[in-house]
Amino acid sequence: MFTCNFRLWVIPLILLSSHLVFAAPMGFEGSVMTMVDFNQNWREVGFNYAITSRDALGLTHLEFRSDDYKDKREVDTLNYTRLLSRWNSTDAQSNLWLFMGIGEIRGSANNQSIDSKGIASPGFQFDYETTRIYFAATHKLYRASNLNHDNTSIRAGFSFYEAEYNETQPWFILETKYTNQISDKIEVIPMLRLINKNIFVEGGMNNSGQPRLNLMYTF
Amino acid sequence: MKHLLLVVSLGLFLTSLSGFATPSYKVTVNGMVCSFCAQGIEKKMKALSETKDIYVGLKNRLVVVEVKEGLTLSQDVIRKIIKDAGYEVKSIEVSEHPIEHIKSGMDK
Repeated sequence: MFTCNFRLWVIPLILLSSHLVFAAPMGFEGSVMTMVDFNQNWREVGFNYAITSRDALGLTHLEFRSDDYKDKREVDTLNYTRLLSRWNSTDAQSNLWLFMGIGEIRGSANNQSIDSKGIASPGFQFDYETTRIYFAATHKLYRASNLNHDNTSIRAGFSFYEAEYNETQPWFILETKYTNQISDKIEVIPMLRLINKNIFVEGGMNNSGQPRLNLMYTF
Repeated sequence: MKHLLLVVSLGLFLTSLSGFATPSYKVTVNGMVCSFCAQGIEKKMKALSETKDIYVGLKNRLVVVEVKEGLTLSQDVIRKIIKDAGYEVKSIEVSEHPIEHIKSGMDK
């Protein structure tokens, strides 16, 4: 019964999103942004197409698992990303983003297979950036029948120096991340970020000693 | 001698006209702090048939558009592209100089 109601609720939400928590979750109008987030227990790949300067549609495949590997999830979603608001000032920009996602989740719990279910994944992100500092807070829900894998991420960092448009700019970024019902740990990941126009790379190691790599490319 | 003066004057006049016929637009842009996000401005400006060259300066929040000789580019078009890219135009100045001159910081 719940499943039926749940599905009815999510049908109007053909609004989906990219969860990948990067500098900006979509590119300029007409661009395609590809994204990869890869570590031991969280692997995500996706892309979106910016249909306007404020709206993007895309697809994401996500796999994540518990620290003991007994619980695994695979999520495929169709995503809608919306720039709700942007504030431009002389030396800074801040944004409020809306993510909406709908799709399917499957996997295993305690090594027992769980049935495929519909999932909705709405979320928000607020970010603030200058040429020297960066901050982003993201909260995204991953809700299906009897499943709640809400994810919260906070990122903050600074660039080592101001770079020109054609130069590579290095950043230090510290992320803290928590995913509900999959791990009790709060993941802390210091990373080096490099940006050169349409190429965005981040790499680091979390507080469990697991490497993490994020890539983003716009074309 | 009179002919020589006439030719030199005409040459200077035409050079001057040519300089004004291909202005560069110096656009100061609010919010332009990240190269990953500012690509849209460069791509859309370059796609214009009137654009000869473009320079994006993150440190000084400057976009300079150099127009092809003999063509004109409306400031409204520039404003629209930058606004559609998600930024805010603070000011637009017309410069007689090409991008290289402006990049070198001599156009102040």
